[in-house]
Amino acid sequence: MINLVVTNLHKRFGGLHVLKGVSFEINGPELIGLIGPNGAGKTTLTNVLDGAIKPNSGTVYLNGERIDQLQPYQVALAGLGRTFQVTRSFRRMTVLENLYVPALAMGREQNRAEIHDKAMDVLEFLTMDHLRNEFAQALSGGQQKLLELGRLLMLSPDVIILDEPFAGVHPRLMEIIYDYIRRVNNEGKAIIIISHQMDSIFSLSRRLLVLNYGDLIADGPPEEVKNDPAVIEAYLGAEEGEEEEAPA
Amino acid sequence: MRQQVPNIAGVLSIGFFILFPFVYSGADYDYIMHICIIAFYYAILASSWSMLAGYAGQFSFGHMGFMGIGAYTTALFCHYFYLSPEPTNLCTEFNLGGTWLVVVNPIGVTSTTLTQDCLRQALSAWNGTVQVTPMPVWLGIVLGTLMGGLFGLLIGLLVLRLRAAYLALFTLGFSEILKATISAEIQITRGQAGMETPALFEQGVTLFGHTFSKTDKLPPYFVMFFLLLACLGVLAWLARSKFGLFVRALREDQDAAAALGVNTTKYKVLVFVVTTMMAAVAGAVQAHYVGIVTPNNLFLLQMSLVVAMAVIGGVENFVAAAVGAILIQFVLEMLRNSFDIGGITVDMTIWRLVIFGIILMVTLRFSRNGLIAPIIEYFQRGHVGKETVEKRMASENEAEEPAK
Repeated sequence: MINLVVTNLHKRFGGLHVLKGVSFEINGPELIGLIGPNGAGKTTLTNVLDGAIKPNSGTVYLNGERIDQLQPYQVALAGLGRTFQVTRSFRRMTVLENLYVPALAMGREQNRAEIHDKAMDVLEFLTMDHLRNEFAQALSGGQQKLLELGRLLMLSPDVIILDEPFAGVHPRLMEIIYDYIRRVNNEGKAIIIISHQMDSIFSLSRRLLVLNYGDLIADGPPEEVKNDPAVIEAYLGAEEGEEEEAPA
Repeated sequence: MRQQVPNIAGVLSIGFFILFPFVYSGADYDYIMHICIIAFYYAILASSWSMLAGYAGQFSFGHMGFMGIGAYTTALFCHYFYLSPEPTNLCTEFNLGGTWLVVVNPIGVTSTTLTQDCLRQALSAWNGTVQVTPMPVWLGIVLGTLMGGLFGLLIGLLVLRLRAAYLALFTLGFSEILKATISAEIQITRGQAGMETPALFEQGVTLFGHTFSKTDKLPPYFVMFFLLLACLGVLAWLARSKFGLFVRALREDQDAAAALGVNTTKYKVLVFVVTTMMAAVAGAVQAHYVGIVTPNNLFLLQMSLVVAMAVIGGVENFVAAAVGAILIQFVLEMLRNSFDIGGITVDMTIWRLVIFGIILMVTLRFSRNGLIAPIIEYFQRGHVGKETVEKRMASENEAEEPAK
């Protein structure tokens, strides 16, 4: 049973208080949307969760193991994987090599043939099997996003954070990403999606977290969050008492 | 078949270099053999630097420093340590079960003129009744290699957080400090005067039923050649293993590699240790071949030459870097011949470096992956584009068929 417990996370950069005591919990294969205006602290939260940035205080436990002081590679091996806002494929490595990296890094008892077969399955699912020997730099932006998702399938973490997975992606590829998210979630993985594309977030997520200037201002089902006055104010800057439509 | 062309060319090249010393019989035999040995030496440096910079993206400018560590370790070891059946009672010495390990006192460059070191004093007192044994050269080379790896480990740990220009400057600084230290410690290292080293085979060696003296070129030729093959073999094995995959991921994006479970610290340090050991072993063997080590070997110009050789060959392919080094070494030597044009003598000893610089600039401008690497890539990956299109067409046809 997946269990991610984030408690009272604080992160300051000089005088800037980017995360102000963020706490939430994930139990089981939840599909969560993390939203908030620019500068809300979404990417910082992701970086803290994956170990790239150490928090000033607070704790993160994944399946009972404390991970907030671990190195990023240890966090990945502990079961938390992520993609990046700006795609970061290994450009001068082939598509297949990109997929081999996480599989070999896991260090589990897998031989090369098994890893290759798994990588081919992943590429087939992502409709990229014909590109397997091309360098990643030859792929389009959307295909590189798919490749990043494919790498996570090879890593197979319990919790996946997708940072802006739909940004700049062609509608046809977007469908593949939707399928990916549903498939991975059905396989029992918890997914956190960070996106500014509210239509996608609301159609996929069953729970929304809303960050605003480092505060977690809402946590609940999309319909509930949509009508939360604090969320409306954060997004639309509505004045008190004013009736404003929710995001999306 | 086309993909096998580089492998076939590799096997043929190895065969050529093995047969060459037995087939070639020109008057300049020793000179050509010397050029080959130096070319193999540079090929080890260029290919190991290619693994460090081209594969792992760690642009170190301290590679010649590590070469110097290997060279000076073996030189100091062979210069200061001896085994004696009797105690000298003059030197620092340790009893190793009946044999004495004698550590000669450093007296700098005056040793042959005014002052005698403690061992020479003891030897003249013994008047030929006691024979001391110098340390074996191979042990000096092994120690030099290990010392290079140790320094590689330390520098690798120190540069963990440094990238790009900062890493280059740091390693350049290390190399310069090392050179300055060697130059300054005249008492121990004899400074710019350099340290003499025993030959690789001081007592000569018998090969193929023929006895070679310590000045013959064939034994060091094969030592350096097989050392190059061993280094290329290790690099090939590493490049095909997960080590090679991880260091390339490290080069491409360190943070993304870490987020996928790659222990970037471990592999960054490991690649430093492996490649610096190769530079050190090349330096140690070269020191015994040339017979002297000086701080000049660590000059920035030497480092620039290794970098240029790797870049012209192809920095992201260690075989291409090695081939580039061998070709450049030969081209530079061939360009030494001055010639006359209408009564004007063109002094190629200077102009050859200009030509070399132009080759480097043209390579960087028009073929950033070098001149040899694209040829290898053409044979190994030339089919990929066609294969991609064919697979795409096939999958599109498959998708259309059920619809018909």
